[in-house]
Amino acid sequence: MNVNLTRRRFIKAVIASSAVASQTGCQLGSKDLHAKGSVERLISLDINGKKRRVDVLPQETLASTLRYKLGLTGTKIGCNRGECGACTVLIDGIPNYACSTLSHSVRKRQVQSIEGVANKDGTLHPIQEAFVEELSPQCGFCTPGQIMSAVALLNENPKPSREEARQALSGNICRCGAYDHYLNGVMRASGQSNE
Amino acid sequence: MNNYKHIGKNFIPPDIYGKVNGKAKYAEDFRADGMVFARMYTSPVAHGRVTDIDTSAIDNMEGVVGILTADDVPSTEAPNAAILTNNPAFIGDPILAVAATDERIAEDALNKIKVKIETLPFAVDPLDSLMEGGPDAREEGNVFSRSREGSGFKKIKWTKKQIEEFRAGKEPTGEHATEWNYGNLEQGFKDAALIIEEPFVTTGYAHMSMEPRTAMAYWQNGTCYVYGSAQSQSFWLPGLARLLGVEQDKVVLISENTGGGFGSKIGAYPAAALPGYFSKKLGRPVQLRITREQEFYIGSARVGFQGWIKLGFAEDGRMTAGDVFIIEDIGPNATGGDGSSAGGAISLLYDPEAMRFRGLPVLTNTTPRGAQRGPGQNQIAAIMAPLMDKAAKALDLDRLEIRKINAVNNETTVYAEQRPVTSAYMKEALQKGADLFDWDTKQQFPQKINAPKVRGLGIGQGYHSAGAKGFDGLIRIAPDGKIHLYSGVGNLGTYSYASTTRAAAEVLKCEWDDCIIHNGRSDKNLPWSSYQAGSVSTYAQTRTNYVAAVDAVDKMKNIAAKIHGGKADDFDIDGRHVHHKTTPSKSSTYAEIAQAAIEFGGTFSGAIYPEDIHDITKRSVQNIAGTGLVGVAKDKLPQNGVIPGLAAAFVEIELDLETGKYEIMDYVGIAECGTVVHPQGLDAQMKGGAVWGMGMAGLERHVFDPQNGLPANIGYHQCKVPSYLDVPSVTRTDAVDLPDPQNPFGARGIGEPAMGCAVAALTSAISDALDGYNFGRTPVSSDMILNYVTGNNQSFKPLQTNNF
Amino acid sequence: MPSYDVMPEVQLYQPTEVDDALNLAEKFRQQGWLLGGGQDTYGWLKDRAKNPTALIDLNDIEAFKGIKATSTGIEIGALTTLRDIIRNPLINDHFEILAKAAGRVASPQIRNVGTLGGNLIQDTRCWYYRRGLACYRAGGNLCYADSPEAMNREHALFNASRCVAVSPSDTATALVALNATMVIKNIDGDREMSAEDFFVGPDTHITQMTALEPGEILTGIKLSNEWSNARYYFEKIADRDVWDFALVSIALVIKEEANTVKDSRMVCGGVACTPYRLNKVEQYLKGNPLSEKIITNAAKIASQGAETLNYNHFKIPLMENLVKRALRS
Repeated sequence: MNVNLTRRRFIKAVIASSAVASQTGCQLGSKDLHAKGSVERLISLDINGKKRRVDVLPQETLASTLRYKLGLTGTKIGCNRGECGACTVLIDGIPNYACSTLSHSVRKRQVQSIEGVANKDGTLHPIQEAFVEELSPQCGFCTPGQIMSAVALLNENPKPSREEARQALSGNICRCGAYDHYLNGVMRASGQSNE
Repeated sequence: MNNYKHIGKNFIPPDIYGKVNGKAKYAEDFRADGMVFARMYTSPVAHGRVTDIDTSAIDNMEGVVGILTADDVPSTEAPNAAILTNNPAFIGDPILAVAATDERIAEDALNKIKVKIETLPFAVDPLDSLMEGGPDAREEGNVFSRSREGSGFKKIKWTKKQIEEFRAGKEPTGEHATEWNYGNLEQGFKDAALIIEEPFVTTGYAHMSMEPRTAMAYWQNGTCYVYGSAQSQSFWLPGLARLLGVEQDKVVLISENTGGGFGSKIGAYPAAALPGYFSKKLGRPVQLRITREQEFYIGSARVGFQGWIKLGFAEDGRMTAGDVFIIEDIGPNATGGDGSSAGGAISLLYDPEAMRFRGLPVLTNTTPRGAQRGPGQNQIAAIMAPLMDKAAKALDLDRLEIRKINAVNNETTVYAEQRPVTSAYMKEALQKGADLFDWDTKQQFPQKINAPKVRGLGIGQGYHSAGAKGFDGLIRIAPDGKIHLYSGVGNLGTYSYASTTRAAAEVLKCEWDDCIIHNGRSDKNLPWSSYQAGSVSTYAQTRTNYVAAVDAVDKMKNIAAKIHGGKADDFDIDGRHVHHKTTPSKSSTYAEIAQAAIEFGGTFSGAIYPEDIHDITKRSVQNIAGTGLVGVAKDKLPQNGVIPGLAAAFVEIELDLETGKYEIMDYVGIAECGTVVHPQGLDAQMKGGAVWGMGMAGLERHVFDPQNGLPANIGYHQCKVPSYLDVPSVTRTDAVDLPDPQNPFGARGIGEPAMGCAVAALTSAISDALDGYNFGRTPVSSDMILNYVTGNNQSFKPLQTNNF
Repeated sequence: MPSYDVMPEVQLYQPTEVDDALNLAEKFRQQGWLLGGGQDTYGWLKDRAKNPTALIDLNDIEAFKGIKATSTGIEIGALTTLRDIIRNPLINDHFEILAKAAGRVASPQIRNVGTLGGNLIQDTRCWYYRRGLACYRAGGNLCYADSPEAMNREHALFNASRCVAVSPSDTATALVALNATMVIKNIDGDREMSAEDFFVGPDTHITQMTALEPGEILTGIKLSNEWSNARYYFEKIADRDVWDFALVSIALVIKEEANTVKDSRMVCGGVACTPYRLNKVEQYLKGNPLSEKIITNAAKIASQGAETLNYNHFKIPLMENLVKRALRS
């Protein structure tokens, strides 16, 4: 069961490398800081239309930044490896798994989380309203992610077919099995009948 | 139809807004000042003894604040699950935890700790352990049965010949551990015109709730505050207090929302107590967030079955005898009583004239098992459905008809004790489903459709007992006229915590807008409520809310009599006022009555309360006494017999003979749960249950490598939890909606049968598509179908389990 | 074993110029990790099963992105997302099989950020290897999957050599079928190679799945007009229809003339460590009509030489059936 790391040679994401068991220190202040392309830690992020200055580690995921640095706990961590969809947020309007996105990669982009979905006056987005009316959520843990996928869909396709909605939300697991109710919610929010 | 104001009507549960706007707080969303982060080191071996833990590498590591080992927590007697253990019995068994100022440092520290473990023999398939000379999953033995008469380890071995005969489909002749029966079994088989005898396997699989079970704890003035992921609320307290080693009044559980449980969080589990011990040791709040992989390890799994069943049928289709033998894969902690429950489900759903159940709970070094949605009932539902089809075919009966002939009804007596049922309308459920599904027409369709596809139709029936009694109800009317409804039932996502409080609103005839529900934290003055499990809450909690509201109404009338003169019986309520029946001007508002209750004190204000209520309820009443009119009572309503939750399902599939994959073309699920309390909630349970059934029928299973005990599927991908595209886009449901006489509103529960009927309908449909071939197994994966269609052997040995 | 899921400490570089990226790739040739969409990166790092010291994020390099027409076909930047490929008119008009294959990858969110290069280079899904066990592929000296009682339903039928893992990429099968050319750069210059040669089996290199050498970056994929608008078939059979890998998949491009097969390329995924090209089937089909008899024979030829493990013999009929479906389509 010992993972023999030092003897291993592997290739991944285009570059070959030998794994090393020890970790190097933080690169801040190291000479690498001046290498072209290295990142600063204090960065500005555009979250739900607001500029947020935040100290972000190079390896930090967007889910961590949102939840633990910015207190936006509506983005849920269900698996932390891009297999469930509970952490779905929109980046420039496109659904992404926040657990599998580096915060540094969204510096120049607009991030929308569940906290930024309702209207400014606090009234609910049509998707949220429809999910309430259809009793779409059960345990609710996957719901923010479902909503983000649905919001992105309706932004691009205001009157999706049920099949289009099913495909668009398919990267969001619901263990309670509320799929039917979520799709009813999407259809209702887009002004279409569920009959 | 009924004329209720609230029961049977949809409403908006108050917590749903938090679920759609992201504000709903789950355990991991809480933080406390000075909180540190714990991570667990879990066993790399399937069975062993920890001989040394070397933490010297992290002794002076910056950011590390402490280590918790099995020596720091109470030891637990095998086979029970421990908070931390030096005797790991499965890969993933928690051995120690490290706390640090952030999670990454804690993980860095875990990476540096050296744990030496002496390995012991292990088994991942019960039959391997049962084989003479085979390994025992625990040093104390390989069988553990729990019963009221006594629990204990045993060492049971079968001869090689006995195992081989069992694998070959013969009646098991090896020793078993538990047994019950009724009727004359021999006579039953003698009377049978048809006997069906088959072996079967249902493989266990992980619950995989969306929320990995986080817990955070701190101590304040001797009280431990635990932020946990709990299915139940009040019901957790005794167990949590026991785990923490404190009195019940010294623990507060905060569990406002829970990201799924499905039976895996019914009572307090060991990991929920870990932060309490760690926090005590460190003197600061500790949060334990676990990984998805660890949720697979300790998040519970369904008990697996390896069994043999023999059924006798009379010429007319009536089941004359049922004989079932089940080897239960109970994991390392001997959890789950699925086998006997499966036997009970046969007794109730098919009402054989005579029956015998024999069980053998065998320990394995796989992940701990526990209740999972219809534990036992749903496994056997999947096995029974194709056998009922087989019987129908042999007796030249319609498949719907044979189920109706044996359907549970108001006269049926069930289980070993042949107890009555409170009410049961399975025949009505089957007919309603057949009508909605259009069974008669669909049966006329040809089985062969566009090659290479074939059609299959299936019928499934699900059952779980669906009620409990004896819990407490608590409500309060405040001087501002607001009705406060206290629910300690837990918030799992069924909304029954809210829908059952509407029983109190119904009795009080008040507007829903005037009601405020209190739940989610045990320091919010919650009563002793039922567990949020076993499909019981709808039945149990409508009763508690009913008795509390009846108590309140009685007090309101008495107060009105005191104010206006006359007797309590002269008064009536209309939702806002208590008024004299014949002199309507003698009237007080609920608000005025509540104010008067405070002034009158005694039982009216809660200063005096019934002696028979639970200590938890007593403390809550003490806290709210004097703040309004308190309605509080223990549910002592009459109850006699088994309370069945029933469901029937119909499914149509198109199976591709070239790939082994099938598509579900139509699904109809019918609930038979007495009066419908919350139509949308029922619909959600029926459809969610159907998705679970679809996962069990075709996708989900434990896979362990028998050579090293490694689990193959530790994440969502490998566990094959059904996605949007693996289930139909539309499913249809309805309910029989006939009241049960033993609930004030006629209600019974439904959560679990909602799944059993679905998995059964699918195994039935798969068999139908393949001209009656029965795999006798769940799941039936595409490779198995393809192997059958092409005439190849299956990859696994007969009756092998926890394999691909 | 501990279970981890927090990103470990690692340096991050986000170059915007090609030269900077190539320099970083060279500088960190031993301990670096090039980052595309990252969807098969973070799991390895969080598990601490792979421990690079530096991530080189290529997403800010515009030159590595986009789909453009060339005089001989089209060229796709390796950092182009699967989302963009699925939606691209050029690809849909001429090489629809690639859009189809890309559309069956993982889930919408993964396709939204996952790149073509990343999908091609992703590591095998062998569950033993993914657990961080010291198997051959991880530099150790045994194969857990090829053992007497191993759980190897998803493993290889062909060309196993000590390691029995399979290629997981859906787009790889389509690109080998389309006879794509891979464009590879390092600080010394460019090289090109066929998709078929790009993917390597354990007999060639047991710890890597492609021919990329340290310091090299896959920057583009060229599709020549040779197979533009050819009749095609793509199908992927997986347990789940979202977020799952092929048990077996098939990609076929075919040209017919006078009711006989003029030329074809047929590739299976999920049966070997590389996309498995069915050369013998292609040769057999050449000049033959697609009669039911020819199709049945072709299916039998397809599975010739298969060596089964404990749990994967179902892949033989599945593969044969997919060959038949492809040819009948």
